[in-house]
This record gives sequence, C-alpha cells and structure tokens, in this order.
Amino acid sequence: MLTKRKSGQASRTRLQALTGGLAAASMDRRTFLRRSGLTAGGLASLGAFHLGTVKAADISPPQPGVPIELKKSICTHCSVGCTVTAEIQNGVWTGQEPSWDSPFNRGSHCAKGASVRELVHSDRRLKYPMKLVDGQWERTTWDEAINGIGDKLLEIRKKSGPESTYWMGSAKFSNEGTYLFRKLAALWGTNNQDHQARICHSTTVAGVANTWGYGAMTNSYNDIRNSKTMLVLGGNPAEAHPVAMQHLLEGKELNNANLIVMDPRFTRTAAHATEYARFRSGTDIALLWGMLWHIFENGWEDKEFIAQRVYGMDEVRKEVAKYTPDEVETITGVPGDQLKRIAETFATQKPATIIWCMGQTHHTVGTANTRASCILCLATGNVGKPGTGANIFRGHDNVQGATDIGLDVVTLPFYYGLTEGAWKHWGRVWEIPYNDLVGQFSSKELMETPGIPLTRWFDSVSLAKEDIDQPDIMRSMFVQGHASNSITRIPESIEGLAGLELLVVADPHPTTWASLAVKAGRKDNTYLLPVCTQFETSGSRVASNRALQWGEQIVAPSFEQKDDYQVLYLLSKKLGLADWMFKNIKVEGDRPVPEDVLREMNRGSWSTGYCGQSPERLKAHMRNQHKFDLLTLRAPKDDPEVGGDYYGLPWPCWGKPEIRHPGTSNLYSTGLHVMDGGSPFRARFGVERNGETLLAEGSYTNGSELTDGYPEFTMAVLQKLGWDRDLTAEELSVIQPIGDDMGDIGKVSWSTDLSGGIQRVALRHGCHPYGNGKARALAWNLPDPVPIHREPIYTPKVDLVAKYPTYPDAKQFRLPNMGFSVQKAAVDNGTAKSFPIILTTGRLVEYEGGGEETRSNRWLAELQQDMFVEINPDDAASRGINDGGWVWVSGAENNVKAKVKALVTERVGKGVAFMPFHFGGWFQGEDLRTNYPEGTDPYVLGESANSITTYGYDPATGMQEPKVTLCQIAAV
Amino acid sequence: MARMKFLCDADRCIECNACVTACKNENDVPWGINRRRVVTVNDGKPGERSVSMACMHCTDAPCAAVCPVDCFYTTADAVVLHSKDLCIGCGYCFYACPFGAPQYPRVGNFGSRGKMDKCTFCAAGPEQDSPEIEYQKYGANRLAEGKLPLCAEMCSTKSLLAGDGEIIAEIYKERVTQRGYGSGAWGWRTAYRETVGV
Amino acid sequence: MRIWSLDRLISPVVAAFILALGLLVAPAWAQNTTANAPAAQAVSEQQLLDELGKIQGRITIPDQKAATLQQPQGRDYQSFQRSTLPWVGAVAIIGMLLAIALFFFIRGRVRTQAGESRQKILRFNALERLMHWTTATAFIVLAITGLNLIFGRRLVLPLIGPEAFSTWSSWSKYAHHFVSWAFMLGVLVMLVVWVWYNLPDRYDANWIKSAGGLLDKSNRTHPPAGRFNTGQKLVFWSVVLGGISLSVSGIYMLFPFAFTDINGMQTAQYVHAIIGVLMVAVIIAHIYIGTLGMEGAYEAMGSGTVDLNWAKEHHSAWVEEQQEKVGGRTPPHTAAEPAE
Repeated sequence: MLTKRKSGQASRTRLQALTGGLAAASMDRRTFLRRSGLTAGGLASLGAFHLGTVKAADISPPQPGVPIELKKSICTHCSVGCTVTAEIQNGVWTGQEPSWDSPFNRGSHCAKGASVRELVHSDRRLKYPMKLVDGQWERTTWDEAINGIGDKLLEIRKKSGPESTYWMGSAKFSNEGTYLFRKLAALWGTNNQDHQARICHSTTVAGVANTWGYGAMTNSYNDIRNSKTMLVLGGNPAEAHPVAMQHLLEGKELNNANLIVMDPRFTRTAAHATEYARFRSGTDIALLWGMLWHIFENGWEDKEFIAQRVYGMDEVRKEVAKYTPDEVETITGVPGDQLKRIAETFATQKPATIIWCMGQTHHTVGTANTRASCILCLATGNVGKPGTGANIFRGHDNVQGATDIGLDVVTLPFYYGLTEGAWKHWGRVWEIPYNDLVGQFSSKELMETPGIPLTRWFDSVSLAKEDIDQPDIMRSMFVQGHASNSITRIPESIEGLAGLELLVVADPHPTTWASLAVKAGRKDNTYLLPVCTQFETSGSRVASNRALQWGEQIVAPSFEQKDDYQVLYLLSKKLGLADWMFKNIKVEGDRPVPEDVLREMNRGSWSTGYCGQSPERLKAHMRNQHKFDLLTLRAPKDDPEVGGDYYGLPWPCWGKPEIRHPGTSNLYSTGLHVMDGGSPFRARFGVERNGETLLAEGSYTNGSELTDGYPEFTMAVLQKLGWDRDLTAEELSVIQPIGDDMGDIGKVSWSTDLSGGIQRVALRHGCHPYGNGKARALAWNLPDPVPIHREPIYTPKVDLVAKYPTYPDAKQFRLPNMGFSVQKAAVDNGTAKSFPIILTTGRLVEYEGGGEETRSNRWLAELQQDMFVEINPDDAASRGINDGGWVWVSGAENNVKAKVKALVTERVGKGVAFMPFHFGGWFQGEDLRTNYPEGTDPYVLGESANSITTYGYDPATGMQEPKVTLCQIAAV
Repeated sequence: MARMKFLCDADRCIECNACVTACKNENDVPWGINRRRVVTVNDGKPGERSVSMACMHCTDAPCAAVCPVDCFYTTADAVVLHSKDLCIGCGYCFYACPFGAPQYPRVGNFGSRGKMDKCTFCAAGPEQDSPEIEYQKYGANRLAEGKLPLCAEMCSTKSLLAGDGEIIAEIYKERVTQRGYGSGAWGWRTAYRETVGV
Repeated sequence: MRIWSLDRLISPVVAAFILALGLLVAPAWAQNTTANAPAAQAVSEQQLLDELGKIQGRITIPDQKAATLQQPQGRDYQSFQRSTLPWVGAVAIIGMLLAIALFFFIRGRVRTQAGESRQKILRFNALERLMHWTTATAFIVLAITGLNLIFGRRLVLPLIGPEAFSTWSSWSKYAHHFVSWAFMLGVLVMLVVWVWYNLPDRYDANWIKSAGGLLDKSNRTHPPAGRFNTGQKLVFWSVVLGGISLSVSGIYMLFPFAFTDINGMQTAQYVHAIIGVLMVAVIIAHIYIGTLGMEGAYEAMGSGTVDLNWAKEHHSAWVEEQQEKVGGRTPPHTAAEPAE
C-alpha cells in the first residue's frame, strides 16, 4: 500500500549505510557472483541481446546497510585522465559517483567513463587461462600456460634468436607495467617491442620532439580554457575526448573564443565550431602551408619570437611560397578566402592553440603533418604561454606514459635511444653489467638498431628471411593488451597469424586475436591469459597533459585474472630473467610492488623528468585533488602536502622528489621560473649548425642566471660555470663512478647523473637542465626537413601524384617500405576509377581502440549495435543505397570486402566514406562469433574497418595510413 | 520546496551518451530500456544540435493524466514518479508523453508490455520499506541522499542540468548572456508551459 | 483520484553542485572581445516545431521511436484522454440512456398489436444466433473493459482502492486483448452472413418516413420491411463499420508501432475510443429494443423463432417472402434455411 513518505524516512540506503547500519545481511564477492549467475556462465549463451527480450542479471546492486568505501582510480578509456570514484561494499564495486574534486573531469565522464564499473563486471571477460587444443579453446592453468609459453619461447630463441619474438605491449598498462614489459624485452634481447603509440601518435612524437624537444602535448586540456582561438585539425574530441570538450566549450563561451574545426568530416565537434572547413583527407600540410602563406604574405607572423627561439624558419618560408591559395584549393578543396580568414584568426587572435589527434598522425606523412602544425605555432608565437601550444590529444589512458617509458622500437625508457650510452645508463640503473646486456642480443648492432614496428608485425612473419634485416623472420608473438583489428591490412595479418609458431594474448578479453587466430587455422600453441583491468590493480598512469595519477585497486579480480605485474613476473621467472628484472623491486608473492617499480623509474628517468614523481607525492595529489586550480592546475603554495605543485606533477618534474619541483604544466614557458615549471626549448640538437646558432637568443626563463641560450648541462658545463662546487659530496660520489665509466667526468650530464645533482644545481641557478635552445622549423634528420605535401598512397587525385609523389621506396625498421611502388601501381592500374570513394576511419564515443572491451560492456554495446559506413546522400542515391541497409564496402587491396550497414549522412562529403575502427569479429561477411572461447564473445561484433585499409607507412615511424584509402560501396 | 527540472543546453551537448550510461550504471537499467537518450537533430548539417532527453517531469504531466489506473504521483519536488505495482503496462503514457520517456520491457501485444519504466530523476519509487526491492524496481534514490540525478552530475560538458528549475534556468540564462547565443531550453515549453527567457 | 506525494530531503549539496556547473573563472582579458555567432545556423526548437509539428533526429539505438525527440501532440492526446473522451463517452452513453428512458416514458413497451398467434416462424438459425451471441458477449466484455479504461479511474478506483483496481484493470486489459479476437471474428462472419439482407431495399424510404412506426403511440403504424428493417440495418451497419474500425484501430494498438508512428498511434486511439463509446451507445439502444423495448423481439435471438404476428407486424415483406417459398403455408419452425 502506498503511503505518504515522510522526509525523515527518505534518507536511507547509502546515507544510512554511511552512518552505520551494520547488521544488514552482507554479501561478499563470491555470493554476489553466485547470485548474478556469473560463475555459471551467466548470459554466456546469448549471442547478442535484442530489444525487448532480456532483463539482464543485476550484476551488482547496492547493498543497503553495508558500509561504503570510496576508492579512486583513473578511467581507462582515453587520455583526459578522468578520476573514477568507486563505491565498494564488501569488496564488490556497487556504484560510481562523480569525481567532483578532479580538476580534469570535475565530476564528468563520457559514455565510457560512466560505465567503467560494467567493464570490470562484464561476464564476457576472460576468466581463466585458455589454450587452443586441436583448434578448440580449452581451459588451462596458469602454471601450465606459463610453462608451455616459456618452453616454446626458449625453444624459438635457441633456434632463431631473440629477435624472432615480438613483444607487443600496451598503452593500457600502468607506467609500472609498461616499465616491466620494456625491461623484459630489453633483457630478453630485442628491440622488437612496441605498443599502441605506433598506430596512435608515433608520428607526433617523432615530429614534435624533433621540433622542440619533447613529443607531447605542450599545455593541458585545462589550459585550453585560456585560448582565444582553438584550431582543431585532425581531431574529434567530442567523440574521442568528450570531457576535454568541457574545457574547450567553456573556454569558448567564457572568452568568446574561436573554435575552428578543419576536418574531412562534419563531426560532432564541428557542430560546435565557429568556423568549419571541409578538406580532403591527407592534405594537412598543404592546408597548413596555405595558412602560413597568408600569414607570411600579410606579416602576421611573430617576428621577435622567431628571431629569438626558432631555427630555420626561412627555409619554411621558401617552401610555403609555393602554396598559393589556388594551389592549396586544388589540393585541399578549401577556398582561399576561407583559409585566409582562418589564418588571420589563428595568427592575430591570440593566444591560439592547435589541437590534433589521429587525423594528422594516421598518414604516411604523419610526422611531417605534426611538424607543420608545430611550425604554425612557432611562426605565430603560439608556444610557451597559457592558451597556446600544440595540444595533442593522445588516445589511451596511458599511451603518454607507455610512450615515455619507451615501449617503442626506437628507444630505451624515457627517450634515451638505443645507443651504447643509453644501454650503459640503463645498465647502471638496473645494476646489470653492460656486457651482460650485450650478451642477451644477437649482436651489438641489432641492440642499437630500431626494431620492427607493430604495424608491420605480419610482414615480419610473411616476408622472406632475406628481406628482413635480422637473423630470422618473426616466429612468436607475445601480445599483452593490444588489439589486432586496430592494425591495417587485416587480410594479410591473418596470414601472419597462420605463420606464427606461438601466439600469446594476455588481456582482459580474448580480443580479435582469438577470433582471427582460429580463422587463420591455428590449432595449437595459442594461449589466452586473463589479465586484470587497471581497476583491479594499482599504479600510475599519465594523462595527455603529462600528469601522472595514481590509481588504487578498486576491487580484486573475480576469477583467475592476474595483473600485468604478476604476468610479467611469472613469465620472467620462467625465462630466467626474474633476478635481473626484480633486483631492486620487492615482489610480494608473485606480485612485484608497483611503488617499487616507480621508484626504480624515478632513479633512471632524468631525461624526461619522471624523477620527481615519487609514489608518495602522487598519492598525496590524489588525496588533495580539490586543492588544484581549474585554470592553472596548481595548488596553493602554502599547502603542506602539495604546495605549489601542478596537479599530477606533469613531466618534466626535475630532480629528486625531495627538491619538490612542481612539474611543468605548460612546456617551454619562459615567463616562469624553472622552479615554477618554466622552461625554454630543449637544446637537443647541438649548439650550432652551418655556422648558425641552435641556442636561444635573448630568450630565457624568468629568473635565470644565464640570460641567453645555453647548452644542456653536463659536469663540464658546471665546471666551466664554477657551479660544480654546489654539488654535495654525496652527489659527487655517485657522479664520479659514472664519469669513470664514461672515461671523463665532464661527460656526465643532467640525463645520466643518477644523483640528480646536476639538475638540482642547474635549477638552483634558475637554469634548465636540458639547456636553452631554439625550436627547429628545419629538422635536417627527417625525411622531409621542411614538410612538403605528398599525396596519399591511394589518392583519388591521381593527377597530383606526379607533382607530389610519396616518399621513395626504402628499407626502414628492418623492412622494405614499398610505398612509392604501391602508389605508382595504383595510378598505373587506375585504382581510383574502380574505387572512387575516399575511405577514412575514426572513433565512436561509445567504443575505444579495437573495441573488444567496450563491445563487451552491455551498457555501451547497446548504443552501437551495428558496424556501419557513413556515406553521403548523393553517393548513396546513385548506388541505390538506403539508410540502414546492408552494403558491401570493397577495398583497394586483397580483393577484400566488408558487409556493413549504410549510414547515409551529410557528415561526410560527396565521394567520402567513413568507418569506425572499433569493430571486429566478422570477416568478409562471415560472423566469427564461434571462434571465441565460449562465453567470452563481445555482445556486438562487426566487420573491421582495417580489413579494407591499405598499405602505406610513414618513413620516420612506420605509422600506418588508415585515415585515407580508397574503396567502393555497393548495396548488398 | 524545490521544483525539479532538467535542462539540456544543446549548445554544449556533444552526444557523448555519458548521461545514458550513467543512468544505466546508477539504476542498473536493462538492455532495451532507455530511460535517457540523446537525439541529434539536423545530423551532419550545419546547425546540428544534440539533445539529451528523458522524462522531463512535466507540469501537469500528460502520463499521469492519461493513466487509466492512476499509477503516477508527483513528489513535493515535482518529480513525476509511478508505481510499478499499479502499472498495467497499457502504453497510454507513451502516447501522451511528448518526450518518449516511458519504456516497456516488451514490445508487447496481447499479454502485457510489462511494467512501464522511466526516469525517476534518481528518486526511485514508492517502496519505502525495502530499499532492495525499490532499487530493483526503480533504481537508486539519490535525491534522498541530497544528490542529483547521475546523468546530469556526470555530463561531460555540463550540458545537462538538473535541479531546481529556477536555479538551472538562471545558470542557463547566464551562459546564454555570456556567450551570446543559445538554441533554447529544449522541451520546456511543452513540459513546463514556460521557457527560459533570455 | 489520489495524489501521492513524497517529501524528499534536499541537502545543500544540490545547490552547491548546481552553482558549480556554470560559474567559472574567466581570464581578465576575456571581457572586451567581439562576439562570434556560432549559433547563427543552429536549429531552433520553435522553428522545428512550427515547420514539422514535432522534432525528429538521429539516434544510434535500434528503437526508432526514440528518434522522436519531442511530439507536443502528446499534450493533445492528454486533453483528449482527460476531457474530450470522457465527455463524449458520457454524453453518448448517458444521452442514449436518457433518450431510451424518454422513449420508454412516452411510448412504453412496443407490444405486438395483433397479440400472439401461437404460430412460430424461424427467424435466426443456430449459426446466426451463435454468431450474434459470440459477438455480443465479446462486445459486452470489450465495452466494460474498455469503459473501465476511460471511467474506471474516476468511478471504480475510489470505491475499491488502487491495488484492487489495478488488479482488476490488469485482468480486464488481458480480457480486452484476447476477447477482441472473438469480436473481430464475429463482426466478419456477421458481415458475410447478413450483408445481403442489409442492403438498401424498396421498403427503406417508407420505413424511414414513418420512423418505423416507433413514434406512433397508437402502435398502428407498421411499415413493411424485409428480414431486417431499416432500423436494424442501421444497427447492422453500425456494428459492421464500427466493428471494423475498432478492429483495425485495435490491431494497431495490439501491435504498437508495428504499422505507424507515434501520431498514428494516437490517431488509432482517438478512433478506437470515440467509435467505441458511440458503439456502446448504439448497442445500448439495440439491447433495449431487443429486450425490454419490444415485446417478442428477444425471442428472435433467444430461441430463434418469433411469433408470426410479431413477424408480420415488423417484417411483413419477409414473412410474405418466406410464405411464398413454402407455398403459402406458414413455414414450420423447424425450417432449416429460413434465409435462403
């Protein structure tokens, strides 16, 4: 019977629980699992839900009267770094609350963040280790799996050498997991180790670092609130970084700022733009040079900034002169007067920032694209001040950290590279003799040679031994936390899967590796290891703005999942590397302690300034989130725990934790003292070139004792300045042996001094450890020192190929890159006639990456139940295609086609199609649902866009080209 | 007492669907039931706007007026709730609702479409004796804890506002004044027979 | 009618959150900048409503109903359900009852003028009676359960309380859904079996002119009629056409959104409800005249046979026709096929 409820009674449930309702029947994790049917397979038998048929099991209802514990971790779905506040009852994650205190998300989430609880509870997760036996998935044990994997790895190592095992790691690791994975690959003896950054921002890192020192977002999401002009070129934050849009839109509203969106697609971001320009995919450089043409023509550039802080702008000027408005319109399709308006806005309505994501990076010219963007900032003086900079939105929650920690074919952790000096540095940090490290490799040469990028893993299996610059082809692969369907050329990767002798996939979900492995005909030597999500372990992760945040373990894993640390411990023990791996890292049971891992990183990461972020400081930041300012991200200086710090101690955070460097919120801000996060451009490229100085002229950070450019700090520089006297005896006692090792104490630098003394002394004098250099508009070490427009491999504008061909064929990263030949063949064969539609790919807000985990989340999966292709109404009409109808999309290579639904929309222009890249589990119209171990198939499956994408690799990084290829679409 | 309302600032909404999954999360709403959804108008064209929509908790609620069994009631905060014990699943409220809020477990024909389900403004329903049953039937009761609906609290761009009508109207007005444009308080005229004058 | 209200506890957290939403820190230089006009192209709600009547958009979930963002027509439906329909229903039904009462008061029961002949004539065979009574029973169930949806909340709920009323309404809704098929079948069979007799014929004009003799207090006017007189034909066509309308609109409602959109569903409701109450009124009249209102009429559908004198008075042409068929003799009541 309904009765009037009195307000006094209304305050119950959680409130009551908080105030101490104790006796209520408690439900522990096991009970809850039993009740929700998870232990019995739950909803496993259902393929996919259909409207009106299902009342899903109540996975984890709140438990009235049971005390609630609040725990904080970080969302695992993009790089904004949203804090997730979890409510835990009896070890069960029963609710999510807004994280009001986080200056990043201020309570907000996107569809993914608001549903991460289900990510953990999803009954579609991998629960037990599995292996293929005669082509069937069978449950196995951890012991059996690790032994089987280890024996096979060692066998292959014996037969083919360490280079024949591919270590594919993950941007989903915590920093500590990344570090262990990187260290394991190094100790195993190969540089064939990589992660998602390859297909994400590898081109950004290469392009941007080669411009001004570090290849990361210069400012922060929050700082965009200060911008007067925001130029989004190659990004769709409304879908990829929704919470970032809070900062963009609020900034736009409060400052009446310009939000300019240039994109081949009218995106959800474009819908909020003050100016939108549609251009042809793959012509970013022409577009940027077109803008610069107007800027130089009208004198809108920042001449003083260029003179003081930029090297080689004259070379750029020469190149830009070729990009007249007419030429640019021909290449890009953007009318000259609109581009002039955009250029003027960007150059004159300051501060201006340029924002990009995969739209610029996913190209054969990705590195050059990002350089051109940086050069636009440099030319207009839009770097190093609030509201300016290259705000590069990274993809995964820890792709920045994983990049920094060198889960990358070209470098050891923290961008030390692969030189002998780098190996020696890490040998000192790890306390492993250099010769022992060399002994792990096939040769010292290969030890110092970049490995094979993950975009080409299957080529390294399928190509002939002679075509690959290493002793043998790839024979085994260990994948921990990476999708297979996010890599282009899937038909060829299926062949690669068939060719591997061993495939191991360690992941919370079986992923498309599992379904494609079975499709490829694998019968055995294929393992699936169930891994924890980041919510079931602890560790630090780096947001796009370089800020580190410590995530607590929210709940323990429910089944036999182990966290990344445990998996890597068990494996390295089996491989006989555990003693080296964990020499200075405490292992509790089979779990290395992440705090200890971070401390070891702190001890070696001087080059990038990961040295000041001790676990204690990071945890203090999480406790004191509410103290950080929304605009500056800084805590009040008088705070006892986090006083003066920038939130998350965004790297570089110099020196030892004790010197309390606050981190660097906006890179290259000369207006601040170095101890307030100020910094000049990094003197990374020497002191002069061809008689021209590479050091800053008349520009220096606030309060610097050196009032001009200066090189990076070494002992020799300190000695010259007489500042070596400021080093303590303790510091010297560390520096001296390093100097002995190097043969000259003067060579010990800010980045190799394990005492932190050189950094401390430089900072004390208001100077920056890495020197005070100029940014490079001209990067002589890159394929195009000044970016030039080059047509995509598969272009519809074949007439432009002669003038703007792609890079010549060459061998890169141990493999041939045949882009030029492929482009030429496409032109000669008239591919653009048979495949007249430009295909571009991108992200949906509901899903992430390869999408298996998000498609296994029922709350998200419900929102996007079908793979689709966006097609313009005109193209649809001429092909008899209806909105929502099935179509075949055929690709320009491999005679491949994909069956998807048509989404007829003006988001894409005529002659352009768009496919989201998160789907998988179908191939050429065939549903591979039965290829998954029983009960682990995601709710939603679909064709992968990367079945259709084609050849094309950036010469500097091996980046694939999924943002532009050609296709044809026909109604089914 | 406060007069609770929703207001979606369409000039902020980016169709990220956080409101949708936050609702699912907080209330454990099953597959196929969409208490909240985001609709994009003029998709792909200049002038495109997305609007998050759920029960608006109307003044003189049409659902309540047409319910043959009178299962709706309005709380002192003007939240429109209903009793699933009384609901007979006739579907009339869906025909009456200007916003498509009522949801039914089954597509339905002869038997029953099941008990209607809709946004409760995170104020649950009329089961004061058993929080478990109340949660199972209606979801969480955040209002009772002094919290607002999770959809609005978690909105990625602070587009979706929830709370006392006068306060959220004031916030919206302030925004419109500051930025100089606003496509209006969507649904207010129909739901509340008033709009936010700017 | 009851209104339940819940008092809720609203803490200052609510207000604090609300304030936090919008009021932000702006850099000082933000004040004196020129305004952009990104809203210039934004769609306005009012404009969309003016042009299209409702607002439709794109949605990613499969439920395409959800793509309708707003349909203010729901408010029209609300006022229809809340006032139009109950008023129309009440006026039609109470009006009919009053008319009948008035008729009864003035005219009294219509007697067979010639008295009973003790001779019976078969008027409706078993199949016809089965058909009639099936349809009639179904209709009564449908009428009661249907009227319950309109008036139950106002009339019954206060008497028996919400739980009992809900239980009753729930069952009555099931009954309405399932019994409807019997009604639909009945109407169709009726149409097939009786349509021939209900086509207009030469007697109709006269019958209408003299109002079937119903208004003749002396009871002497008996205009000739075939098997069905014009009044019965009107009932027949009301039942058939009304029944078909109810069936079609009912099927729309049994399969919501299978054939139409939200506005179509509302229209189906409008049609179903209005035709429904009007038909209830017609059937009330039909019941009256077939039972209380006319001596001897009930037997036609009751036993199937009627007194010859009654038949002669009300269906003289039919009686003649029947007698011709059997050679001038009064047909025995066992005649198998009176209609042929």
